[in-house]
Amino acid sequence: MTPSEQNKLIESFHPLENKLLLSFSRSANLAAADIIAASGLDESRLDMATGWLTAKGLLAVTAEEVSSLVSLTETGADYLKNGTPEVRIIAALREGKQFTVKDIIQSWGMDPSEVSSAVGALKESKVVRVVQGGLLELNPAVDVSAYDALMTVIRHAASIGKGDLTAFPAEERSLIQGNFHKRGKGKGIFRITEKKNRTYSLTPDGKDVLRLIQERGAVTDEASALTPEMLKQGAWKNVRFRAYNISLSPPRASIGRKHPYREFLDYVKYQFVSMGFEEMRGPLVENEFWDMDALFMPQFHPARNIHDVYFVKEPSQCREIEAPFGKQVAAAHKDGGKTGSSGWRYAFDVERAKRLILRSQGTAVSARTMAAGPKVPGKYFSIARCFRYDSVDATHAPDFNQVEGIVLGSDINFTTLLGLLKLFGQEVAKAKEFQFRPAYFPFTEPSVELHVKHPDLGWMELGGAGIFRPEVTLPLGVDVPVIAWGLGLDRMAMIAMEIKDIRDLFSRDLDFVRTKKIQLNK
Amino acid sequence: MPTIDIKKKDLDSLIGRKLSVEALEKRLMLAKAELKEYNAATDDLKVELSDSNRPDLWCAEGVARQIRIALTGKPEEYSFFRPGHKATRIIRVAKDMKPVRPYIAACIAFGIRMNDDVLAQMIQSQDKLAEIFGRQRSTVSIGIYEMDKIAFPIDYRLAAPDELSFTPLGMDEKLTLGRILERHPKGVQYGGIVKPFRKYPVLIDSMNRVLSFPPIINSAEIGEVKTNTRNVLVEVTGTDQRMAALTLNILAVNFYDRGAEIDPVQIVYPYATDKGTRVTCPYDAPASIKLSLAKFSQALGEDVSVADLKKRLTAYGHKVKGSATGLSITYPPYRDDIMHPMDMVEDYAISRGYESFEPVMPQESTVGGLSKIELMSDSARGHLVGAGFQEFVSNILCSREELADGLAAGEGLVEVDNVMSLAYSVLRNRVLPSLLNVEAASSKAFYPHRTFEAGEVAVLDRSANMGTRTDLNLAALIAHPTANFSEMHSTLDVLLYYLGVEYKLEPAEDPLFLAGRCGKIVVNGDALGFIGEVRPEVLERRQINMPCAAFEINLNAVLRLTKR
Repeated sequence: MTPSEQNKLIESFHPLENKLLLSFSRSANLAAADIIAASGLDESRLDMATGWLTAKGLLAVTAEEVSSLVSLTETGADYLKNGTPEVRIIAALREGKQFTVKDIIQSWGMDPSEVSSAVGALKESKVVRVVQGGLLELNPAVDVSAYDALMTVIRHAASIGKGDLTAFPAEERSLIQGNFHKRGKGKGIFRITEKKNRTYSLTPDGKDVLRLIQERGAVTDEASALTPEMLKQGAWKNVRFRAYNISLSPPRASIGRKHPYREFLDYVKYQFVSMGFEEMRGPLVENEFWDMDALFMPQFHPARNIHDVYFVKEPSQCREIEAPFGKQVAAAHKDGGKTGSSGWRYAFDVERAKRLILRSQGTAVSARTMAAGPKVPGKYFSIARCFRYDSVDATHAPDFNQVEGIVLGSDINFTTLLGLLKLFGQEVAKAKEFQFRPAYFPFTEPSVELHVKHPDLGWMELGGAGIFRPEVTLPLGVDVPVIAWGLGLDRMAMIAMEIKDIRDLFSRDLDFVRTKKIQLNK
Repeated sequence: MPTIDIKKKDLDSLIGRKLSVEALEKRLMLAKAELKEYNAATDDLKVELSDSNRPDLWCAEGVARQIRIALTGKPEEYSFFRPGHKATRIIRVAKDMKPVRPYIAACIAFGIRMNDDVLAQMIQSQDKLAEIFGRQRSTVSIGIYEMDKIAFPIDYRLAAPDELSFTPLGMDEKLTLGRILERHPKGVQYGGIVKPFRKYPVLIDSMNRVLSFPPIINSAEIGEVKTNTRNVLVEVTGTDQRMAALTLNILAVNFYDRGAEIDPVQIVYPYATDKGTRVTCPYDAPASIKLSLAKFSQALGEDVSVADLKKRLTAYGHKVKGSATGLSITYPPYRDDIMHPMDMVEDYAISRGYESFEPVMPQESTVGGLSKIELMSDSARGHLVGAGFQEFVSNILCSREELADGLAAGEGLVEVDNVMSLAYSVLRNRVLPSLLNVEAASSKAFYPHRTFEAGEVAVLDRSANMGTRTDLNLAALIAHPTANFSEMHSTLDVLLYYLGVEYKLEPAEDPLFLAGRCGKIVVNGDALGFIGEVRPEVLERRQINMPCAAFEINLNAVLRLTKR
């Protein structure tokens, strides 16, 4: 060890290590008991400090002897106070008391097994016998000194405290060994603990280090922590703060935290706000009118049947469709109304429009917003929970979020539709390459799909959009062109969270959620 | 929407040019189609069509046609559609067809060069048209027969279930109409369409041979087309005359594109129809739509010349007449999806290619912002995160069982009528059960547990037009060996302090909370929610072995109270 290594070691010493080393100032070879005497450390701290210094190569064990120390167990302490069961039974019989084994168990507060083994032993040595009625009877002729001898040892052991087994006379030693507690056995009276008595000496490095500590002299008082008292009294000026081993792992902390998926949705939300979009909200339970009819989806449209949408059981219908939208939408379906369209040319069923369903598309929120007199120019978005009649698996959650919205303005046309989608691709997906593909949605014309090139996954569909058909906007009272757009962001959330199963976005597992990271803005 | 199978060599021959797979993928955009798979070894293409209003595209012939006319720039002249063509063959419709299945359209295709690919495409388009466009044959169904075995005129009439019998396709014995509905797989599948009526539709020729039992099954004798068939009768029956006519037109152009001659058939109705009482098919009343060039350019965002518009729309299958002051566009007989001039804007853009347009950023400035309830929710979420709580996001659709022990007597839930799985059959009416689900699933996660969720719930509300209401609720839960009311109350207290609500707790009963350790959170007599220690029986039912305390508040109510 170089002197600088030795010095570094000293810097990191725990105060116990310092104290222990200093106890070697007078003698190079010390037994554990001598160290305790010289340093004032207790046994457990001594063990810690010797362990550390041995591991650092500063201290070595030069000799080791094992001694057996005798102490009383809980049972032993009880017998010291009340006598052993045998002694108590003999004494009580001597006093002329009459009792059965059952009486002892019931009223002496002794353990049944303890009582039965004591009575058994007394019967075997013929000290007592059982007479009529189960009563115990003492045979005064039999010698009972052996039972008294055990009590003598108990008292002796108690008086010494933790005494070395070799300090007891031979006959007491054998009694102790016959009655000591073994793990897993019944109750013993004595506990024998083995103690290693070690003798230590400093290694050459240890001697160097001790010399260095002695040379440093003055500061021997090391503190592990700064306390309010030290600050108040200025005592911190006279202490040295031990350096920590900072390479250790810290204990695990659980912190209050946003859900990673929600953090993603918040990020999306603020992106839309920063692009000038206002949030809009709508109900989870919709009617077919706002979810589909207002979006010019004919009532016979294939996506409107029982295998695509969840219907509400009770109530099954809303009371009314808000005027004048009900009539205007019905006219658009029937013959176009005042929209310049030929319409779908079928008999519109108002009762069907009232049917309550679980919202199947976020566009329902856009329809309600258009009917509520939106700002022009205006930009709106919503993150809407939607429900589809699908079996639940790794790609289908029972309910899911759709990020949807509208842009209203007199400058809305096909090229600004593409411009808006390009903006979304750049801002939301951080994409540099785009592709616009013709698409079909019942409520937009023209319609377009936005595909973007993801750095890891290649080309993927980010969303769909289009210009609302006049059959959608005019019956809702909007007379400027309106872009309708929707983005599929759950896939992006799953990539950001590094999960493969969409159901994990809604995980119930606290450990999973606590440990899941999300990387935004990548 | 439909996915169809096509052999690539069949498609190439219909297009009239061999395209590379890459070139084909690009050209498929013309048909709003996407190549899903290509197996070079078997030459099989799987193509997905997205436009539910363009049934003409749901077959090899239709996809090829849209690509072919873009390549040549010139649509086919389907001369057999010219008005006034004379039909020598007749189908007579009986009077009592009117309430059952009133419309029929038919034509004859002579000289088909049939092979396995052609037959496969014919069966596939018949199937897609009747299933998807015809809504499982209810509005439209199709029959194709060996022309050479039929003696005209044909009668389209009703017959009693036991009046006549014939051998249906796929069987080798004669069955009555009634027995077909019981025993033939197609009878079982589609019988519901005719069962409400006392008598069923049949097509019978002048030799009294049954052609078919529409919309159920053809006769095995006359109605089976094989690879050696050259001449066929095609008929479409249905409840919607326009849809039946369109379906026949699509089938007719498909046969024509494969080199067949199309011969018309006249339908004679004893009742009035939108197209008259004598209708010659394939029927085409040339349909057109008027455009204003200025509006067209405005919708596109680019100035378009008449010449360019003519060129692009012609290459998409339309006929364009007129000048800048008034344009008239006649669309092809196999399409009936054009309702508004905006439809032409899309056709133009697709024909020209979306990539040829320069994206322009919308210039009008708007101010963004969040709704008041979202801001309130974000604020509450921030306080709970600061208080050491982990946020959760749960599904709203769940099982009745998850909510049942939290319901007050007589309290209902928003329930799904057409349940697919009991696990997802009701909407949650409060958020706390979702947090209890988390506890039930998280006994291995180290304690203490502090969780919360701000999320939507649906509650029945008789006073609302919709009969229901969506609320935004906030619930928080703690679980650890000494979790109790007082600790939860501290969190609630500091949260409501920051939200600006002065509240009182009143002793209350709640099925989820221990009696005597539950409080109603009250502001000026209005209830905001509940707080309490969770009942041990509620925990036991979910096998949660840790004491829990929780609260739930309605953020809409908080918003109403703090808005002055």
